[in-house]
Amino acid sequence: MRLKTPLVGITSAALALTLAACGGSGGPEDETVIDNEAAGSAGSGRDPDAKGPVEIKGAKEGGSINVISATELQTMDPRNAYYAATIAIHGAFLSRTLTQYKYDEKTDSMVLVPDLATDLGQANEDFTEWTFKLREGIKDENGDEVTAGAIERTVEASMDVDTYGDFPGNYLVDFLVGGDQLKDGKAEPQGVDIDGVEATDDHTLVFKTTKPFADLPAYAYFPLFSATPEGADPANYEDKLVSTGPYKVKEYVRSKKLVLERNPNWDPATDPARTAYPDEYVFEFMLDTNKVDARLLADKGSDQTTMTMDDINASNYPQFKSSAGDRIVTGSSPLTAYLAPDYTKITDIKVRKAIGLAFPYKEFYRTAGMIEGLTANPGNTVMPPGTPGYKKYDNPLGVEAGTTDAAAAKKLLEEAGAVGFELKFPWSKDDPDGISPKLKDLYVEKFTEAGFKVTPVQVPDAKFSDYVRDPEADINVRTYANLGWFSDWPSGGSWFPPLLTTVDWKSTGSYGSNRAKFSEPAVDKKVEEILAMPIEDQPKAWGELDQEIMETYYPWVVTYQGGSVQAHGSKIGGHKIDNTMGGPTYKQLHVLQ
Amino acid sequence: MAETPDAGEVPVASSAIVGKSPTQISLSRLRKDRLAMVCLGVLGVIFLLAILAPVITSVMDIHERREPGSLNAAEWTDQFGYPTVGPPYYGFDPSHPLGLSPKEANDNLARLLYGIRNSLFIGFVVAVSAMAIGGTIGLAAGFSRGWLDRVLNFVIDLFLAFPFFFFAMALSPIIGMAFSQNDRGLAVASFTGLIILLIIFSWMNLARLVRGQVISLREREFILAAEVIGVPMRRVLFKELLPNLVAPLVVWFSIAVPTAIALEVALTLLGLGVSGTPTLGLLVQEARSYWETYPLYLWTPVAAVTVITLALNLLGDSVRDAFDPKTRR
Repeated sequence: MRLKTPLVGITSAALALTLAACGGSGGPEDETVIDNEAAGSAGSGRDPDAKGPVEIKGAKEGGSINVISATELQTMDPRNAYYAATIAIHGAFLSRTLTQYKYDEKTDSMVLVPDLATDLGQANEDFTEWTFKLREGIKDENGDEVTAGAIERTVEASMDVDTYGDFPGNYLVDFLVGGDQLKDGKAEPQGVDIDGVEATDDHTLVFKTTKPFADLPAYAYFPLFSATPEGADPANYEDKLVSTGPYKVKEYVRSKKLVLERNPNWDPATDPARTAYPDEYVFEFMLDTNKVDARLLADKGSDQTTMTMDDINASNYPQFKSSAGDRIVTGSSPLTAYLAPDYTKITDIKVRKAIGLAFPYKEFYRTAGMIEGLTANPGNTVMPPGTPGYKKYDNPLGVEAGTTDAAAAKKLLEEAGAVGFELKFPWSKDDPDGISPKLKDLYVEKFTEAGFKVTPVQVPDAKFSDYVRDPEADINVRTYANLGWFSDWPSGGSWFPPLLTTVDWKSTGSYGSNRAKFSEPAVDKKVEEILAMPIEDQPKAWGELDQEIMETYYPWVVTYQGGSVQAHGSKIGGHKIDNTMGGPTYKQLHVLQ
Repeated sequence: MAETPDAGEVPVASSAIVGKSPTQISLSRLRKDRLAMVCLGVLGVIFLLAILAPVITSVMDIHERREPGSLNAAEWTDQFGYPTVGPPYYGFDPSHPLGLSPKEANDNLARLLYGIRNSLFIGFVVAVSAMAIGGTIGLAAGFSRGWLDRVLNFVIDLFLAFPFFFFAMALSPIIGMAFSQNDRGLAVASFTGLIILLIIFSWMNLARLVRGQVISLREREFILAAEVIGVPMRRVLFKELLPNLVAPLVVWFSIAVPTAIALEVALTLLGLGVSGTPTLGLLVQEARSYWETYPLYLWTPVAAVTVITLALNLLGDSVRDAFDPKTRR
C-alpha cells in the first residue's frame, strides 16, 4: 500500500498562541518508545462469526468529529483507492466490502471479520477458488440492494491500470484467472469480463485464481471489493459516490475536504464492526502540519472534537507529552522504509552492505523529522514487527540495526575492490518540506566519509516521482525521505510477491513496486512455493524467507520501521491505532458528552 | 570655451567664511544627525561581523553545516531533534552562544554570521549592479529625446510588465536541471542565478526615476547655459546632471539594498532561492516551524533581517534629508 505522509512540514506558523516559556533546564522526556516487538501479530486474528450490531459501552450518539490532516486526500473512487488514508475512510464510513478489520481492545490489535459476506469466504483445498456468500437485504444510500454483480463490476474495473493508475487491483492481475490478459494495460473501463471473478447469483461471488491465493479474505477489505452502480464514470464517480456504509457524502472537494452525514439505509444489525455515533464527520486535508499540531495542542472550542490521522511532528512531540500526554495515542504501523540500491547496477553484495553500514540512520531520522523509537524504529527485516510470521534475526551487517559504521563500510569496499564506487541518488532542490536538500548534504558527507564517490542527481520536485519510477533513470540508489512500503494486509504475501520478485521492467517500462529491481530466480521459486502452502504454514515460511533474502542478497538497506503517534481533542473517545493501517480506528470513534 | 570662475576666485568679504561644496554641506549635516550616526554604527558592526565571519567562527571554534569540525547530529540532539546543550531545554552554553540548531546541530551563531555575510553580499551586488544599469539607461533615456528615449522606455516597460515571480519559478528548475549532476556547480549557479535574477528585476524603477529627473533638469537654465556655451555632452551628463541626481540615487540605493535582502528572503521562503548557501532567507525558512518550541532559533535570523533592513532604511532617510536641497536649514 502506498504511504503518503508528509514529513515534517516547514510552513508558516501564524497562529496566535502564547509562546511557551523557553530556557530552563531539563530536556523533554527521554526514552519514549513504541515497543514494536510487543505489537503482537497485527491483524492476524480472525473472527468469521462476528455479528452486529456493535455497541461501545458509554458511547452516546450525536456530535460532530473533525479530522484534520496535512496529507492530500487521494481519489475517493473505490476502484482507485490505494492510499492508506483513503482506504481507511472508505472502509469505515462509505464502502462496505467483503471483509473488514475490527479493533479488538483486549489484544490492542485488529481482527479480520466479515462485512458484506456472511463469513470470511470458503476456499477449495488448494486456495485457488474462493466463494463469498453475501448478506441479503443490504441496501446502498439510494435503497438499491447490494448484489454480487455490482461487486464483480468494481473488481473487474479496478484491474484496468490505465484508468485507475494507483492500481489497487495489482494483485488481481497477478492472481485471477484471465488476469494476465490485462497485463499490457489494454482493458476497457468496465468492459472486460474476467473469468476469475464471477457472480453466480445475486448473493454469491466466486473468485478463481491461477495460483493459490490464501490471503484473499485479508485483501478483500480493499474498497475495490465494494459495489459500484452500473455505468459509474471513472472521471467523476468519486464526486457522487454511492455509499453503502454508515455515512454518505454530504460535501466533497477533491483532495481537500469531505463532509459525511448519516446514511439512513445502513443497518447496524448487519455490520459486525462499524458504529456510527457522531452525526457528522468533517475531514479537512492539506493543512499546514504545524497548525494541525497547534490546534490539537490548544484544544479550544470545536477543536476539542478534532483529531488527526497524521503523526505528531517530532519537534512538537515534547510539548504534547508535557501538556497533553493523555491525548496522544501510539501504536505500531506496518511500515518498512528502505533504501533501494539498484540490483542490476550495484551487483556486489559487499557494496550494498557497505551502503547499509555507511547510512547515517540517526541523523536521517532527525533530518527527516521522525522520532527515533517512536515513528522510526531501527530494524533489519523486510516484514515489520507485528506481521504474522515476523522473525527477528541478527542484522546481516554484523552490527545492531540502525548503527552506522563508516570504517566497516570502507573495509567492505576495499575487500570488494570498489573504493570510490559512485552512488547516484535523486534529490530535489525545491522539496516543499525542505528536507530533500538537507538529506542530500547528509548523504554526500557520510557516504563520502565511507569511501564512496557520491553524485546527487537533482530532479525538480514536480518530476521527482516519475523520475524515480523510471527503471532506466540514471541513478543507482532509489531513495527519498519516506520511501517505504505499507503492507496491504498483514502477511508476507503482501511483502515478497510485489516487492522482491522478478519484474519484467525492460519490456513493460515499469518495475512495479520492486524498486530495487531485485531479481533472483531462486527467490521467485520460493515465493511461489510459499503461496501454495497451507495458510497456517505460510507465516513461518515468510519469516524464514525474509531472513534468507536479507542474509543472502541484502537487496534493501532497511532504514526504519514504522510507528504511529497521533493526537485527538479532549472530547473524542475511541481513538486508537489501527495497526494494519497505521491510522486511527475510525470505526469506533465517538464524541464524549 | 568660456571660462567659468572658480568658487575660490569669488572675492569674499571675510576670511572666516570658508567655501564648501554642496556634498560637504550635506555630509556635515549628516554627521549631526544622531539617528543616522547610530544606524551607521550598527551597520558598521554588522559589516565587520560579516567580513570577519570566517575568522570569528574559527577563533570561537564554532562551525557551519557540514564544515570540518561541525558537530555530529546523532550525538548532539535528542530523539526529537532538540539540541542536548543550550536552548531551548538547557541553560546558556558559552561555547555556543546562540545554541545549536535542531535536527542538525549546526552552531546557530556560525550560521547567522555566514547568513548575514551572504545576504549583505547579495544586497550590495544587486544594488550596485542595478544602479549602474538603471542609472545609465535612465540618463540616456532622459537626455536623448526622440527615438532612443522611446526605445529605452519600451524596454523599461517591458521589464516592468514581466512577471517577476513567474520568471523566478521558471528559472529555478532550469538551473536545477542544467546542473542536475554537478552539486558544487548547482550551489554556485543557484547563488549567482538568484543575484542575476534580482538585478534584472530591480533596475527599472531607478531608470524611470533618473529619466524623470533628467527630463526636468535638462530644461533648467544651468543645463541650457552649459549647452549653449558648448560644454561637451559627456561633461554635461556627468558633471552637471549627475551631481544633481546624487540625492535620489543615494536614497534609491539605501532602499535597494534592504529590498534585495528582503526579496531573497521571500524567494527562499517560496523555495525559489538558493540551496546549500546559508542566507538570512534560508535561516528563517528553516526555523519557521520552531516559533513556539525554540523561539531563539527563529528570532535571531528574523532580528538580523529586521535590524539590517531598518538600519539601512533609516540611514537612507537621513541621507535623503541631508542631500535634499529643499530641506536646507
